[in-house]
Amino acid sequence: MMIRIENISKIFNEGTPQAFEALKSINLDVAKGETMILMGVSGSGKSTLLSLIAALDKPSSGKIVVEGELISKLPDLHASAYRAKSIGFIFQHFNLLEALSVEENVIAPLINSGLDIKTVKEMAEKSMQNAAISHKSSQQVKELSGGEKQRCAIARALVHEPELIICDEPTANLDRENSLKFIEILQSLYQRGKTIIVATHDPLFETLPFVGKVVHMEDGNIVGADSISAHN
Amino acid sequence: MNEILLSNEVIVYLLSETVLYLLLFVAFISTIGLLKKWNFDAFTTEQFALENRSYLVMTIIFFVMLLKVVLLPYFVYTIDNLSNLIPGAMCGAGVIKANEYGNPLLALKIIILFLSGLWLSMNSIDLKEKNYPYLKLKSWFFILLFLLLSVEFLLDILYFTHIETTNPVSCCSVIFGQTGGVNGLPFGLDIPKLLILFYLLFALVVLTTVSELAVMSIVSSLLFGVIAYYAVVYFFGTYIYELPTHLCPFCMLQDHYFYVGYLLWGLLLLGVFLSIDAAIMQSFFKQPAKNLKRVSLLLLSVFVLLCSAYVGVYYFRNGVFL
Repeated sequence: MMIRIENISKIFNEGTPQAFEALKSINLDVAKGETMILMGVSGSGKSTLLSLIAALDKPSSGKIVVEGELISKLPDLHASAYRAKSIGFIFQHFNLLEALSVEENVIAPLINSGLDIKTVKEMAEKSMQNAAISHKSSQQVKELSGGEKQRCAIARALVHEPELIICDEPTANLDRENSLKFIEILQSLYQRGKTIIVATHDPLFETLPFVGKVVHMEDGNIVGADSISAHN
Repeated sequence: MNEILLSNEVIVYLLSETVLYLLLFVAFISTIGLLKKWNFDAFTTEQFALENRSYLVMTIIFFVMLLKVVLLPYFVYTIDNLSNLIPGAMCGAGVIKANEYGNPLLALKIIILFLSGLWLSMNSIDLKEKNYPYLKLKSWFFILLFLLLSVEFLLDILYFTHIETTNPVSCCSVIFGQTGGVNGLPFGLDIPKLLILFYLLFALVVLTTVSELAVMSIVSSLLFGVIAYYAVVYFFGTYIYELPTHLCPFCMLQDHYFYVGYLLWGLLLLGVFLSIDAAIMQSFFKQPAKNLKRVSLLLLSVFVLLCSAYVGVYYFRNGVFL
């Protein structure tokens, strides 16, 4: 099992009158190489769950184990190392450095990797090709369209060859054509054996052939999970 | 109000100590809570809250311990400056002897400096691990340290509030001078034996550090620290002052001697501490300590060379020893 989530709860503003329980005793497994879609309206707890799996935040209780490593208790220093090594993020708002070129954005996660510049450039080129953005490598991000920005974000997320790809509302800012292009790239990642978790309320994702599991969330609870026999 | 308490250095020093003590008090209360309820194997809300709090508490302690290290030379600087206000005092030696709290306070500060350093090392190896293996140990160690820090804070207050600017104090030549033929050196040593011991112990520190004999390394480093103190006050210091009767560990902290005392005592304290720290880290915590050892040997070697250089330069210039 790639990811095992046991009784995870997350309470924001704990111990105050504004306390809010974003996740309520969630249990979930994700197999290695599986693509899982988290569906639900805004505020259902999808992004909170993603941030806990990515060790961006800590749960209020419960256990998250990723590839045998206990993520929910990682001290901050180790959490950063885990994110840098194992996770590729793709965000709704891309979170790119607008003033830098595509290549510079893609290289950014490798700055502290200790790799020599030649290797870094080769890895960036390969990643840009996989995300179909290498033809814009020297262009500034602020000059790109929404779809191109998303492909740049994908190239950046993949440059260090992470095993786990986490996407938070990746198509929310894309038109249908670019959303379909994004899904194509996602499928190629699935074919390369990557484990993928997508939080979305875009119905496009529900019927994709490579999706292994669709989990429906509501008010911090899992209200339904459909396991699907994925095929390429 | 006592003039001493109105001097800028004392105000800054006591205010800093008070703020740091308040931070430590908060950390102390939280640490007791941590120790009571800590159970890393639990996945409860309480344990997660404790883990988050432990990070904050340990950061506070880390910050305070670092500042305490910086405050020791500032304390020395402060008492050295107070010699202008106290009749009879020529340097910090007279000021520290101005009441019965001075010497215990200085000794306690040096002990706390060493223990704080050990806590910082322990904290650093704990943070490298994923499961807080030394959290309980470093928390208990901090509680012990907090008790010492409380005594230190009390002594700080007592010391500075009990310095009289009307009562003359003794100057360093009276405190450290061989009045009435009494030898101030320990174990009945004379200067030649003191110097032989000084260089032999330095060689022993180098040997035990290189050959990784942990207990021997700790013992020899501590002994070297003590003997080096006497060697500087009773022999090397006279070459710094270029006066055979001037025996004082404090005057060399003044601008007249280019503040070389800060360098000498800093090298000695840090070198001895790192040597002990390296031995403890390697033997008790099974941590690699090669770099600590290298830095320690470098600092102690510079210390020995600097001391010896004062004698050599004096002889080279004048053709005689003092």
